[in-house]
This record gives sequence, C-alpha cells and structure tokens, in this order.
Amino acid sequence: MTAEIGQAAIFLSVLSGLWAIGFLWIGLRTRNQNAIRSGRNAVIATFILISIATCALIYGFVTDDFSMRYVVEVSSAAQPLLYKITALWGRMSGSLLFWLWLLTVAGAIVVWQNHRYNKETNDTLSDYALIPIAVVQLFFILLVTGLIEGVYNPLARFPNGQMAPDGAGMNPLLQTPSMAFHPPTLYIGWIALTVPFAFAVGALASGRVSSAWILRSRRWTLFSWIVLTIGITLGGNWAYRELGWGGYWAWDPVENASFMPWLLGTAYLHSVMIQEKRNMLKLWNILLITLAFQFTLLGTFITRSGIISSVHAFAQSDIGGYFLGFIFASTAGVIGLIIYRWKRLKSANRLESLLSRESAFLLNNWLLVGLTLIILWGTLWPIISEAINGQKSSVPEAFFNQVVIIPGLLLLFLTGAGPIISWKKITANNFQRMFLLPLVIGLVAGALTWGFLTFVKEESSALYSVLCVSVSTFVVVAIFAEFYRGAKLRAKRQETSLLNGLNLLIQRNKRRYGGYIIHVGIVILYIGIMGSKGYFLLESKGLRIGESMEVGEFQLTMKDSFEKEFENYRRTGVVFDVAKNGKQIGTMEPARHFYYKTGQGEQDTIESAIRHFGVNDFYIALGSIPPDVKTGGIVNVQAYYNPLIGVVWIGVAVMVLGGIVAIAEKSERSRDA
Amino acid sequence: MQKQRRLKVIAASVILLCGMAFLVLTGIKRTSIQHFTPAALVADGSKMNNQQVQVDGLIAEDSSEWDAANFKLTFAVLDRETAATVNVIYKDRLKPDNFTDGGSVFVEGKYDATQNLIVASKLMTKCASKYEGAESATPTNETSYISQ
Repeated sequence: MTAEIGQAAIFLSVLSGLWAIGFLWIGLRTRNQNAIRSGRNAVIATFILISIATCALIYGFVTDDFSMRYVVEVSSAAQPLLYKITALWGRMSGSLLFWLWLLTVAGAIVVWQNHRYNKETNDTLSDYALIPIAVVQLFFILLVTGLIEGVYNPLARFPNGQMAPDGAGMNPLLQTPSMAFHPPTLYIGWIALTVPFAFAVGALASGRVSSAWILRSRRWTLFSWIVLTIGITLGGNWAYRELGWGGYWAWDPVENASFMPWLLGTAYLHSVMIQEKRNMLKLWNILLITLAFQFTLLGTFITRSGIISSVHAFAQSDIGGYFLGFIFASTAGVIGLIIYRWKRLKSANRLESLLSRESAFLLNNWLLVGLTLIILWGTLWPIISEAINGQKSSVPEAFFNQVVIIPGLLLLFLTGAGPIISWKKITANNFQRMFLLPLVIGLVAGALTWGFLTFVKEESSALYSVLCVSVSTFVVVAIFAEFYRGAKLRAKRQETSLLNGLNLLIQRNKRRYGGYIIHVGIVILYIGIMGSKGYFLLESKGLRIGESMEVGEFQLTMKDSFEKEFENYRRTGVVFDVAKNGKQIGTMEPARHFYYKTGQGEQDTIESAIRHFGVNDFYIALGSIPPDVKTGGIVNVQAYYNPLIGVVWIGVAVMVLGGIVAIAEKSERSRDA
Repeated sequence: MQKQRRLKVIAASVILLCGMAFLVLTGIKRTSIQHFTPAALVADGSKMNNQQVQVDGLIAEDSSEWDAANFKLTFAVLDRETAATVNVIYKDRLKPDNFTDGGSVFVEGKYDATQNLIVASKLMTKCASKYEGAESATPTNETSYISQ
C-alpha cells in the first residue's frame, strides 16, 4: 500500500509544482499577495508530497518489499540496515527521487527564510527565486513519475503482482560508510548551488540586479562550497581505501563531473566580492552562477548518458537527452532574461590597473573557468575527436596532470597575492610592505628545496616541486603576516594580548579571515598532492608464504593466510610482518572480500591494508588469493609508499574549517541592499 | 587613459586565453590516444606501430594465461563483430577482478604491429549487468568509480 501512496504523492506533486510556478508568477506580476502566498504554500506542499514518496521508498527497503522493482535491484534481505537506507541513492531512479527530495527541502527552506525576512521588508526577490526552483523541481518530478521513457518510477512494483524471492543487493564496493555518504554529500552541494542560481534568475526577472541577490544567497553558495569540498574528498578517500590502486584521484569523468561545479563555485565566490566592493561584473556573476548550476546537471548528463562509454561506469540510459534538453532550455531562458535586462547590467566602474586586487580576482576567475573548460574538453575529448575527424580518441590521466599544473601553480600564487595586493592599483609602498618579505622567504625556500632535491635526493626533474614549495611558502608567509598585522593592531587598540587580538580580528570579519584560512588549507593540500602524486613508491611481486619483498625503507614478509566468514561476505587475506629499516614494526593484513549478493552476481573486492606513519602511508593491496596458498600458491602483492598523503586530508580539513568560519558571518548588509 | 587600460585588459585576457589553448592543444597532441576495435587496429596496424592505442573488445575464449610468479597476464582481445584478435600482455599489475573468458575488456597500451601485440599499461574489465540492461565496470587497479 505504501508504494501506491508514494506514487500518488509523486503524481500530485506535478500539480503542486505547476501550482507554485503559476501562482507565484501571477501574484508577482499583479502584486497579489494572496496568489504569492498560495504559490509559496504550493512549494511547501511539493516538499511534503515528495517527503511522503521518499519515506514510502525507504519503508519498502526496510520491510524488504521485493515486489518493488527498485528495492529488488539495490537491496537484499541480508543487507545491513544502514545500507538498506543508503540504497535509496544506489541506482538511478532512486538517486533522482533523492535529488528531488533535497531540492524540495531547499525550496521549503527558502520559503521559510523568506517568511522571516518578509515580515520586516516586504521584499519579493526570494519569491521570484522560488519560481526557478519550482521549475527545476518540476523537471525532476516529471523524470521520476515513470511516464518518461528511460526512467522508471522508483516506487513501481513488478507487473501482475510478481515478487522476487530476494533482492540482488548493492554493489559491495558501495557498502562502506564513506561511500554511503559520498553521493548524498555531493548531491547536497549541487542542490545548494541551485539556490544562488535561482536568486540570479529572480534578480533578472524582478529587475533588481544590484548585489541584493548575491547577499541573500551568499550562505547557500558557501554552504554548497563546503559540502562539495567534503563530498569530493570523501570520494577520493573512498577510492583510496577501497579500490586498491593506491591513489585518490584519477581524472575519471565522474570525478571531473563533481570537480567542475566546485571550480566554478569557487570562481563565483571570488567574483561576487568585486561586485559588492566595486559594483563591477554584474553580468559576469550571473553568467558564472548559471554556468555552475548547469555543470551540476551536465555532470549527471556525462555520467548517465553513456556518451563517455569507455572508462566510466554508471549504468547508461536515455536520461542524458532530457538533461541536455533541460540544460539548453534553461540556459536559453537565462540568456533571454539577460538580453531583456541588458541596460541594467552595465557596470558603473572599470578596472583601473592590471596590478590591483580587482585584477587578481579577475585572473583568479579566468584561471578557474579556464581550468573548468580544459577539464571539460579533456572529459569530452572522445566525442569531440570523433566529431572532428571520425576517429575516437581519449586522453589519459597524464593529460590532465600536465595541463592543470601551470594554471594550478598560478592559482596557488594568487591565494597569497590576492589578499595582500591593494585595491584599484598597486603602489610601491604596498609592494614593499606586503610583498617583499613573503617573496624573499619564498625564493629562499625554493632554493633550499632545489638544493635538497638535486644534491641530497639526486632527483633530476625537480622544477614543479621547487615551484610548489616556493610559491606555497610565499603564500603562507603573506597570509600569516596579514593575520599578524591585523591581530597586532587590534591588540594594541584594545590593549589586550596578541591572541585575543587575533580572535577579535577573525570575529569582526569572519568572511575575510575564514577565506584566508581556506587559502592556507589550499597550500597544505598542494603540498600533499605534490608529495603523494610526485614521490610515491610502488613495488609489485608474487609471493609465497615465507617470502619477502622490499619497498623503499620497508621490508615485508608474508607470514600466513587466513579466511573468515561473515554474514554476506567471506574475507580471505594474508598476514605480513612489516619492518622498517630492518626493525620490526608490526603486522598488516590486506585481504579480499568475496560478496555473495552484489547486484551483479558474486564479486570480490580489494581490502587494502593501510598503515600510517605520521602523514605518510604504507599501503598493501592483494590480487586474488589462490586456494593452494597454504601449500605454496602465489599471492600477488602491490605495496605502495605514499608520502604526505595525510597532508591532503589535513589540507581539506583546514579548508572546511575556513569555510565554516566564513559562513558564520551574518549577511547584515543584505538588510539595506 | 581609459581606452588604453581597456586595451591592456583585453591584451592580457587574450594572452591568457592563448596560453590555455596552447596548453590544451599541445597536451592533447602529446597524450591523446586513439581508440580502435581489434578489427580496425589489425587493418590499420602498420600506421599505429609503436604508438599508444586503446582497444575495446572481448576476452577471447581460452586465450588468457596468468603467470602469478612474474605478475604477467597474457590474453587476446576478440573483435565484437569479426574474428580479428589482438594479443595483449599486461605486466606488473594485479590481475583485474572479474577477468573471465568472454567478458568485455578495455585495454590501453603501446602497440607492436609486427607481433600484433599491445603492451598494456591499463586494463579494465566489464561484466554484463543483469539489470538496467547496461554494462557496468568492475574495479581494477586503474579504474575509479563503480556502477551505482
């Protein structure tokens, strides 16, 4: 019965969606408060209806209702409860419903914020913003109704009362906590980006293209950025621990799809500051947030349409076409509105100098958008190449690694230069006071690194590492000096300690100093990437019990094998004695899990063993274990030494911390905007 | 003054744009790898000698041999439509999961036309999914995400 109620709720939400769009539009055009209120209520109704549908599906999972097609596909009776619930986004139709539900949550929150805000100001901007939100919702509602070919209703039952004895089960690789939470984190980040986009459209529609829409949606943007940062990292962390190839980022189309909106969101977070401060770039900001939003849809298009068939791994379907259609239609709508409001979008101010904070922001934007386009080009290259010369080609990881390095280092430089360069135009005084010390120390650090790598480590090509360390040092010194100067000034003025001064400084301007903390996190992240991507060691060997191998300073001896049965899998593995420079430091037990129910028949997964030495990891992955392992069978072992990989996670943590500091600032200025 | 500044901005943007375009184009030229079916590669073989190629096909029945002691996997990729095959050698990596005769396979590596052999640097297996009528990849030491 619950499934039928859920289905009915989805169909009713088509009506509430249309209701919201229609009444908000009419109400705003005719200034009819009752119609507006009715439209807002319809947005809430959609939220309630889709919540019912989502609960009905979760109920189906929890009660093992194997007459429901979707439940059979992603769940099984033996699946632990947590993964029965996360099965909600295990495959496409469920993901779409979940995505839609998050969208309706966002819509309801906007209505609620609106309600609080409107009591004081009678402002219609967020009512305008509700319309695009409702339109996007309607698109997703239509997809999950099951009326559109290619996607079935996630609540649909098998025809004629058929019932499966048990479900197929979720892919075992997804049955880990970080994978359970990685997709929803990304979804939340993407959906949060819908709100600033909707405010941009609302600003165009209402004609109020000043900075009000940016300020009103500022926290949404930052929230999205923080969540996306976490989500992307969870994905990398999952790949590192579960896939057994010792890395965390491979420029896979799916990874790129999650990274591109992040880059555009980052660009937007910077460019809005110029609009707020100097009233420039109005048009650019609208375009940028539109692009960022479209890239969240494009990501789904790329991963679901099957156009990039060779490498990525999601199930293919016709859904890509609908997404592409929606992307084109909504972009056309925004462009139409821009043309309609063209006159109001002209900037009053112009750039005064190429060496100014405005230009630094601008350069940052160019680089971030440029990087996005480069990554897009590389991701779509199989299609582009086929269109150009009929011969399908693709680019490997190496393409991305090579191409992003120079823009990446320039961006790193900007994380230090941006905060210390003066507005309007750099002066000799500004340069001397702010730049000289960081530059000198950065150069010294670079020289020392070069000496260390060339003479001590005897590396031949240390250029990028030297640049990375040098620029990183510059940034860290520049930002710490910024904090120090500010804190000292506050401390002096308030006659208190330097630490108190620092606290006061951050409290007074959370957004700015939160941003600087993010910049420090970026530096840390770069150092981690440099170490783990540039200096990892890998040894592969076939070993019998009793045999040993060496990786750098580590010696491994395979001591024994083991086998354990669990509820839905069997764990087989081997025990290694690990020694560092000849000194025993313990044992490691890499294994493989053999799952009985997977959705794709039986399947085994690599369960690598990881041991942390400070920020460096020692990592062992196994090939399949032969049945005769106890009597001389050979086990294939891949052992990695991943230096500085822990620094990657620390860098991201610092970035998230900075984001939280920045989001804590109330948008007070939005009141008078 | 105003005009000159605008000119400067435009010049800077153009330089940046050209720089990026240069990076992309040279990057693609240096690294891009052509994609073939086994039949097309055999037919076009001599042209691709000693070059990086990608081949997509099926693991030919009874062709695979796994030398665990030396970490060496050898097999043949069979064209999906014709009887053409290309030999593959894959060394120093773990044998991918679900590597079974008849399964889908994706190979990337250097092609030696004289021996009709790819020395693979990347290998991905796929197995036909029973559901949603689609293919979904399984992990190897090189793949990234898994069917959701």
